[in-house]
Amino acid sequence: MALKALDIYKLLPKKNCKECGDPTCLTFAMKLAGGKADVDLCPYLDDTSKTVLGATTRPPIRLVRIGVGERSFAVGEEFVLYRHEKTFYHPPGILFKVSDAQIPDEIASVTKRVRDESFIRVGADLRFNGIAIENTSNSADTFAKSVETVEKMADLPLVLISSSADALTAALAHCGTYRPLIHAATNKNFKGMCAVAKQHGCPLVIKARHLDELGQLAKDCTAEGVQDLVMDLSPASLRDFISLSTEIRQLAITRTAPDLGYPVYFDATAGGMQDAGIVIGILKYASVIVTNPLLPSSAKAALTLRQNVYTDPQKPIQMNPGLYRVGTPGKDAPVLMTVNFSLTFFTLEGYLESTRIPCFMLIVDTEGLSVLTAVAAGKLNEILVRDSLIKFGVESEVSHRSLIIPGYAAPLSGRIEEATGWKVLVGPRDAAEIGEFLNEEWKK
Amino acid sequence: MGFNVHFDWTGSIGEVILGATKSDGGSRRVSYRIGGGTTLPFLDKNPSSPAPLIAFEICDNPVFWSPIIRNYCGELVNNLQEWAKAGDATYGADMIRLYLTSTRQRNFSDFPAVGKAVETALSATSLPLIIEGSNDPKIDSDIFQKCGEVGQGERLLLGTAEASRYRSIAAAALAYNHALIAQSPIDVNLAKQLNILLREIGIQRDHVVIDPYTGTLGYGFEYSYSAMERIRFSALKGDTDLAMPMISSAPDTLTIKEVREADLDGQDDMAVKWEFYTSLAAAVAGAEIVCVRHPKTIGMLKLAFASLKTGTGSMEVT
Ligand code: B12
Ligand code: SF4
Repeated sequence: MALKALDIYKLLPKKNCKECGDPTCLTFAMKLAGGKADVDLCPYLDDTSKTVLGATTRPPIRLVRIGVGERSFAVGEEFVLYRHEKTFYHPPGILFKVSDAQIPDEIASVTKRVRDESFIRVGADLRFNGIAIENTSNSADTFAKSVETVEKMADLPLVLISSSADALTAALAHCGTYRPLIHAATNKNFKGMCAVAKQHGCPLVIKARHLDELGQLAKDCTAEGVQDLVMDLSPASLRDFISLSTEIRQLAITRTAPDLGYPVYFDATAGGMQDAGIVIGILKYASVIVTNPLLPSSAKAALTLRQNVYTDPQKPIQMNPGLYRVGTPGKDAPVLMTVNFSLTFFTLEGYLESTRIPCFMLIVDTEGLSVLTAVAAGKLNEILVRDSLIKFGVESEVSHRSLIIPGYAAPLSGRIEEATGWKVLVGPRDAAEIGEFLNEEWKK
Repeated sequence: MGFNVHFDWTGSIGEVILGATKSDGGSRRVSYRIGGGTTLPFLDKNPSSPAPLIAFEICDNPVFWSPIIRNYCGELVNNLQEWAKAGDATYGADMIRLYLTSTRQRNFSDFPAVGKAVETALSATSLPLIIEGSNDPKIDSDIFQKCGEVGQGERLLLGTAEASRYRSIAAAALAYNHALIAQSPIDVNLAKQLNILLREIGIQRDHVVIDPYTGTLGYGFEYSYSAMERIRFSALKGDTDLAMPMISSAPDTLTIKEVREADLDGQDDMAVKWEFYTSLAAAVAGAEIVCVRHPKTIGMLKLAFASLKTGTGSMEVT
């Protein structure tokens, strides 16, 4: 049950010392009430108040950061079960798995791939997030060596998978300060695992088969001083994962079971249907997904699905409207009009670049709608085009008065000509044909 | 502790029967009863609906089909009989969806040929069929009349009704007792409106499958995914005008940049993965039928659906 700001305020030290980053204890209390601050920020809070407040004011799912630096990622702090209710905030980290029984060259090449590979879609740089190293050799030494191999090549977030505290200790000698995620504490070994995690300040995966065991384990581990937990539900099947994970998300966001308010870990390789595992993991609330290195096809599909599902449904990814240049266009360069939906912009820009014809792109504000959608919704119209031509000073940039519009906007061509006084050329519908079009229609 | 997710839902998804076996007056070897869900996909303890059905899409004039599929299937695409048969026997689909692409010519009027194509598909496979009519409202009436007539008794699923053109298809569905697909562009309210229009002209709820329009992965899929989830909720919350099973087909999958521009030797794989990721995600959002064009996607989806299904299932209506 959530506490009101005033109830929280009563428990605070009332020093108004600003050390929490807020001007007064009261504003801090208001933030806590909204789930927007962490009780740990106030250094003067006594332990009893901390426990009382901790459970009710922190976000329903704890934010856990894995790794350090540029490639680190944070998961958790989610508030809804369905993206259309608000949005999903923290996309799952997807990590490629290697085994310490593999030869170092293989481990190095997977590491290099995760370090360097990137897939650019609608202006976003999509990447896999890190490496999960599994201690299948059962040797602490081999495990440590493999971790060293990875560490030497890249500053990537890691998951260290081992049931041996000794192996983990040996591995942490190489990466202990970089916040790798440790996998996993069970109700048998949690004391040892917590000691290791605590010593290095690492997040820890807890693993149990039943939700009540998981909740108990979470309690035990926080009592041991490890707060940054991630939960492995050890599902028996994909279906089992869907129901457990849905149940946990539901219980956590309604604060019915605060002890389950942690991000979820999912090994997509279990069950032998990795692609299916990745889809289900992304859709059904996994926050850390471990998979074998993916073929290029699966890699692109997985990153795209993650990008789609974690896009804010209230606002499409948009560009700022304006006049953009491709190459260094001169006064006689063509002007192509399009909408400010990022997907449209980047698709068109890609094709324009490959034509090697310098040109201007006039991006008009359709509130992020694609061409056809904007036309259907009446958002793309002659007034908008006229105002945009003026606003972005296109007349002074070029010596001609010809505007190329998308093929799907053809029904508007007459009205645009009337409203702007510019001559309108209707381009192809598919941007892939823009090179041919410019060569034939513009050059002549 | 002992928890259980509780959603307080009272409604359920209506059921639709596709395909008719001998005992129902048809010639199909199976008939499917889809729908019946009372919660989110794959959460039912005892699902009444079978695992999502996989429909293999083919056409009667392959000029309009993706070169990727034409290359992969080779000569098959020029032989409707063999192509449909392969979809069933070789590739293992649950349904065959025939697009009458031959009608996409100026002033098309060879309606007997359309009847012939439907007959061919019916004889090539004993799976339930989905028949996609024309692209041109002017010939809808003749096309659907013909399809309905030829498929009489077989409980076809006829496609596709839209808000601006649903009368011809509805007439054929009513006259010959077929089910139909009702498509609206990615919006719960539009889906509902269309269903109301259909209800008002006499189409029973148990004869409608909703197509909320599936934008493929990376090209609108996020909208489709949420629209499907919302349609499912509205149904579970008791809105009977949205309580129909859904079908998902992402027609753009094979033409998007990632697939079109893939290396030639990796292109099939890219197409298959794109279809697979889109279809599985659509099934998770609530689609009871997913449609694919690449034969290799079918096997992958089958495996995934098998692991997502529980119970021995009342898969077939007997
Ligand atoms: C995703 C989607 C939506 C999303 C919005 C996504 C967005 N940000 O725009 C949502 C769900 C919100 C939506 C809403 C609507 N939609 Co909608 N939507 C789509 C969908 C599936 C994909 C659109 C897309 O992302 N395309 C990809 C981008 C990159 O395409 P593009 O912008 O056209 O750019 C291409 C070309 O135009 C060209 N190009 C672009 N710029 C330029 C410039 C020049 C100079 C040249 C030469 C070429 C060029 O290059 C690009 C690549 O080839 C399409 C179906 C489809 N397959 O197109 C329907 C579609 C566009 N929508 C449609 C409709 C009717 C609507 C709504 C009116 C209905 C409703 N649901 O209320 C609303 C209107 C919006 C509103 N009122 O808010 C219809 C339009 C019908 C028509 N022919 O007019 C479509 C075709 C679906 C259908 N078959 O019914 N939609
Ligand atoms: S740090 Fe604590 S005592 Fe100081 S202002 Fe913030 S809440 Fe009040």
